[in-house]
Amino acid sequence: MRTFIVLAVFGGGMAHATLGQALRIADVAPDIPLIVVVLLALRRGPEFGCGAGFIAGILQDAASGGLLGVQALTKAVIGFAIGTAGGRLRVSQPLVQVPGLVLLTVAEGLARYALLKLFRFPAPFGELMTYVVLPQALYNGFLGAALVLALAWAESVRERAS
Amino acid sequence: MKTRAVVLLGTVAGVCLVLLTLQMRGYAGGASDVLAIFTTPVQSALSRINRASVGVWSTYREWKNVRAENVRLREEARHLRVEALRVEETIEENQRLRRLLALKQAMPLATLSGEVIAREWGGWVRSLTVNRGRGDRVGRLTAVIAPDGLIGRVVDVRPGASIVQVLTDPASTVGAHVVRTRTSGIVEGEPRGTLRFKYMAREGGGIQVGDLIVTSGAGGLSPRGIPVGRVRAIEDGGSALFSYAQLDPAVDFARIDEVLLIVGAGAHDVAGLFPDGGR
Repeated sequence: MRTFIVLAVFGGGMAHATLGQALRIADVAPDIPLIVVVLLALRRGPEFGCGAGFIAGILQDAASGGLLGVQALTKAVIGFAIGTAGGRLRVSQPLVQVPGLVLLTVAEGLARYALLKLFRFPAPFGELMTYVVLPQALYNGFLGAALVLALAWAESVRERAS
Repeated sequence: MKTRAVVLLGTVAGVCLVLLTLQMRGYAGGASDVLAIFTTPVQSALSRINRASVGVWSTYREWKNVRAENVRLREEARHLRVEALRVEETIEENQRLRRLLALKQAMPLATLSGEVIAREWGGWVRSLTVNRGRGDRVGRLTAVIAPDGLIGRVVDVRPGASIVQVLTDPASTVGAHVVRTRTSGIVEGEPRGTLRFKYMAREGGGIQVGDLIVTSGAGGLSPRGIPVGRVRAIEDGGSALFSYAQLDPAVDFARIDEVLLIVGAGAHDVAGLFPDGGR
């Protein structure tokens, strides 16, 4: 299980930069590491969510050639927050999963923008939200929900088999 | 547990902010390099896997497209083959009809064209049914010909059709002679579907294999000079009164589709109208 988690965090971070191209729809790519961090935080709590978010984010930063620490911090915060609130959330329904991931992606985008602005990032807020953050948030919502369903199905198959 | 998580978050946030600050001041170039040592090989491997997967997928899709195209092309080829056969058939029919029309126009006697609508090919009877009957003024014993020679004669006339006794019918007899030697005789059908020429032994000494046999016109049932067949073999009858020659029919009866019925009367020699020219 630990190996799987390490692979998920590490692979998710790497896969985003390399394999993300294959998942592009109309020039919008999903934030796979964010989805992975959210899923892991929901299952393993805030500590794990925070650590996974930091590792996934810093790998993403390194892979993308951006400022090291931006995504590491935002994803660590997201992981921590979801891990803390996980027990109180009912996340088994796609009707919760899709908007939940949309909101999380938007929140992560806003946090990243705020952080980058602090370090003199020049992009205009409106365009960034319209063309980058919101489309990606929608994509994340549906992809994450599909991933949750696929995992639930895989687990039920494994339980039946054992 | 919760405290540990908060401490972890604080540490992470602190590390990140320090990293960002150092980078902005131009001191953290080494950190990127250290991370790159770990990330670059993984990225390269993933990229290779990605390319290979995309390659396999592309190959699969191409294979599927090729397969679909193959099915479509096979169907098209089948359709075209059928079309080509139809065209070939039409061309052949056209040629046959042209030959028949040429013969009809050249024939000095009144003729009627007809189409074969049925065949009786058992050993007992060998006949064709032609779509010309009583309404077309077809009479019994009317000679029936094709561009290559004599087919037979009408033995039964019905309202819309006539039955033609083919030369190879066991009951068929036609007066004929050898063109080269003028030896007279009778062409008879045989149960096995072959033709033979029966002639007086003392008159037929000169008959050779390959000689052409044509109708003699005796009795006025058919015009003189219509090819019947060629001598394939001569049976030596010894001292018998009659000798026999096996013939190859001038007409391929199995492949006849259109015929001419000679409805006009008159003693004409029509040998010149046939491919062999009576020779």
